Amino acid sequence: MPSLTRFVRTDWFGPLLACIVAIAIIQSVSPTFLSLANIQVLLLALAVNALIAFSQMIIIAIGQMNLSVGAIGGLAAIAFAGAMEVWGLPAPLAALFGLIIGLACGALNGLLVRISGMSAFVITLATLSIYKGVNLGITEAQAFYGVPQAVKAFGSAVIAGPVPWLVAPTALVAVWLWFMLRRQPVGRFILAVGGNEHAAELSGVSIARTVVTAHAISGLLAALAGILLVARLGVGQPSIGDDWLILSFAAPVIGGAVLSGGSVSVAATLLGVVIVAIITQALVLFSIDPYLTQVILGGLILAAVSFNRLRESRFIGRFGRA
Amino acid sequence: MQKTSSYFAAALIAGLSFGTPSIAADDSRIALVPGGPHPYFGAWAQAGEDAARDFGLAGADYRVPQKWELSQQNQLLESLLSQGYNAFLIFPGDPVGSVSTAEELSGFGAPVMAGGGCFKDPSPAALCLGTDTGASAYEGTRKLIEAMKAKGDGPKRIAHFTGFLSDPNTQLRIDAVNRAAEEEGVEVVQTIADIDAPEAAEEKINAYLAAHSGDIDGIVTTAWVPAVAAAEALRQMGGDRIDMVGIDHDEAVLKAIKDGIVDGTMIQNPYGQAYIGAYVLDRLRSGCTIKADAPFKSNALTDRFVDSGTAYVDASNADSYIETMRGETKAIMDGFEATYLDCQ
Amino acid sequence: MTDSASSAMDTRPASRLSSRSSLRLFLLSNEFGLLVLIIVFAALFHGLANGFLSPFNLFALGRNAAVNILIGLSMMTVLATGGLNLAIGAMGVAAAMACGWLIEGAGLAWPLAVLGGLALGAGLGVTNGWMVVKTGLHSFIITLATMSIFFGAMIFLSQGESYRALPAVFSDLGRARVFTFVSPMFLIAVGTALVLSVLYRYTVQGREMLAAGARPEAAEMSGVRVERTVIACHMLSGLLAALAALLLTARNGAAIPSMAGQLGQDWLLPAFLGPVLGGTLLQGGKVSVLGTCLGAFLVTMLTSGLLLMQVGAFWVQSFLGILLLLAVMIDKGRRSYLRRRNLA
Repeated sequence: MPSLTRFVRTDWFGPLLACIVAIAIIQSVSPTFLSLANIQVLLLALAVNALIAFSQMIIIAIGQMNLSVGAIGGLAAIAFAGAMEVWGLPAPLAALFGLIIGLACGALNGLLVRISGMSAFVITLATLSIYKGVNLGITEAQAFYGVPQAVKAFGSAVIAGPVPWLVAPTALVAVWLWFMLRRQPVGRFILAVGGNEHAAELSGVSIARTVVTAHAISGLLAALAGILLVARLGVGQPSIGDDWLILSFAAPVIGGAVLSGGSVSVAATLLGVVIVAIITQALVLFSIDPYLTQVILGGLILAAVSFNRLRESRFIGRFGRA
Repeated sequence: MQKTSSYFAAALIAGLSFGTPSIAADDSRIALVPGGPHPYFGAWAQAGEDAARDFGLAGADYRVPQKWELSQQNQLLESLLSQGYNAFLIFPGDPVGSVSTAEELSGFGAPVMAGGGCFKDPSPAALCLGTDTGASAYEGTRKLIEAMKAKGDGPKRIAHFTGFLSDPNTQLRIDAVNRAAEEEGVEVVQTIADIDAPEAAEEKINAYLAAHSGDIDGIVTTAWVPAVAAAEALRQMGGDRIDMVGIDHDEAVLKAIKDGIVDGTMIQNPYGQAYIGAYVLDRLRSGCTIKADAPFKSNALTDRFVDSGTAYVDASNADSYIETMRGETKAIMDGFEATYLDCQ
Repeated sequence: MTDSASSAMDTRPASRLSSRSSLRLFLLSNEFGLLVLIIVFAALFHGLANGFLSPFNLFALGRNAAVNILIGLSMMTVLATGGLNLAIGAMGVAAAMACGWLIEGAGLAWPLAVLGGLALGAGLGVTNGWMVVKTGLHSFIITLATMSIFFGAMIFLSQGESYRALPAVFSDLGRARVFTFVSPMFLIAVGTALVLSVLYRYTVQGREMLAAGARPEAAEMSGVRVERTVIACHMLSGLLAALAALLLTARNGAAIPSMAGQLGQDWLLPAFLGPVLGGTLLQGGKVSVLGTCLGAFLVTMLTSGLLLMQVGAFWVQSFLGILLLLAVMIDKGRRSYLRRRNLA
């Protein structure tokens, strides 16, 4: 069974299986789960959360961490909403403005990491404070409400059936990331630096350029997530991004990314996001006692990753060496 | 050299002055300290400035903890004391956990008062000027039930969206909503809590409505962010089968009321809390005391509660809600000294 | 006081090194750099802000630093294994609430209740460690899940209610001052740090912890029972988190569910900040107890100084970030200067 073996061995097979089992179980208990309306809500959550996860994934790929993902997303979100409300910029220009801010914040992270030689963990911890502080300094915790109707409409419009427009940018980003990591030199450099920085340098990869590029991409994706969230919420809230940190790591790691770098998968990360979103939805669908929600959430995360783990040891054991 | 020594002297004097409690001779420097950065307290800054002007205070400054964390608020309060503030209006980061810091402040002779939310008794706070969270949730639920019943008879079911469970006020709100529903024979089919972040509120409320919008006739929200998220969700769903009563005065909620998507909202009076709070603290510093027989109300946290006013705003008065609250503030101000204070 | 696997295996006593090179090593160390930064910034804040060195401010600074130091040490013990522990806050709050329940609900004497709280913290740590070892999953995932489970169970059991009828010894500990400006809480944290550095430096268990973190396979072959050692590291982390939470309970005068924020996440950044600034490697195998303490102290001091300087209320966080960057850059400059001087 050579083709089956290859299929079973791919990095995203485990998370995929976990997803399918989870969906099957929830669907059998609550038939409304796969209703069109619910799928749409699921896709909307995916659209934003996948970008947050990708933003972290690209930094995990070079073996670093970016704690400022949420702060960049929040800053870009209020820059986008603020540019429309205060300066009256048209939405596309405002979005561009937000993206540039995200790109610049990310590039600054990368530059500081290279210049100081400190771990990205410390640098992004400091810039997290700076970006969040600038956000609060500008907004004084008040939201921007001047989001035009067209932007809100984009946030809730559907392409066809249950597929919202909001997933379009995310899908493009996913394809681009996949292509870049697999086929383009810059993607190979990123993975090489994450795998073994010294070896990468010896083979002629510019570490500095690669690190700055990865951080800039991370900032850009975080900014895009923030902007989509503004379209979705219809309000530019300063607290956007405050809760992204755990999610940004959880999805890639549940998908099987190695925190020490060099090994990430766009598909597996996406499936990690799906698993988290399904669990969140299931908790709402089953009308669980609010006081027990957190306990069950933790239990389900454990169940999902343990299942993945079990599959790895069993299936790889049986088919992998065939 | 001289500069250094003058700094040193200043530090020494500052250090010494902390040793002597109760410094009644100098001017009132009042700190207005919320639990963290939050749009609800936006009016406190203006109220502080107005109060400082109207009552001739040395300052009534709005000072915000950087994050909504108890430890951040405590550290800020300690620092404000070192900076020479001598009266404090505090929205307790935690009704119980903030008491110890309040005791420390009042130990240095600075009067302390709770604004917006209360400390849990016993506490050194002179009084609590705030919204009766339970009563507001109860009133909001009754208004929602009225609106639902106006559409026709039959069994009615509602969903309740609220904030963090680690905030004891959340339990008060859940109880109040359930009580109001029970009295009217309405069923609360779902309570979703812990959704004070915009992302979580948006995701969970939409997930709930996608699966269960047919099962409910109304929504009551008792926290700021869920109110905004639910109003936006109803706007995107369209149709007016589901009634909703929100909380607070977020522009998105007010606009939804004017557009007929949301029935109304229970607004609170943050401006009045800070304005009256600064006034009372200044009076307390100039020798007034709280009357022994002051007609305080009681709530679940304290027996020294003064209602800062809450009002139901619907499409008819959504534009003039600020005037409504100004009137409320004036009414509380007018009789305050005669009712609650004993000034020689 | 940097303890690494290599130095742990190194049997040469430090005195054999030439005095010049050991001095150079010391001047190049993270710990020395942090010490210099602390002195520089303290002088700066003293010059720019009134009351930075006032007894009350120093006392409050020590009290806040105590909790941050313990949180940092709690994370450090797990970082030593190359893992991390996201559940620190949840474990700490659960332990403090258990202690509160043992006093109020079960009527135990406070020393027993404190032991019970510490034991629960250690037990939760063992649970984490056991699951990490048995499943072979990364500790990130395990502790992400247990963070939710521990905190959720605590909220479910307590229903969000606080325990505040604690014996006076708790609030006395929070308020007492030694020599008018030192908090006994700070002394407890320093004492704990001393015990830990003895553990890592002079005991077999401590060296095994570092060896297991640096090269698990090599350690296993040289007879270290790696699995048991990893569990021990997590147990130590739980114990320290519980101690931090108990000190916070003393400071707040009550055990409250919200003392580390939603899911205990408020503790996460301070937990990493101390160890990472202090030179603990995220890859494991190298810890610095002194560095963690100095790092935590530096950050607490920067916050305190910024608050005193009254930079615009909403901008404090930005300035804190900039100061952190500045500190990191100064330290980097100092080290490259020293290297050049020594090589020249």
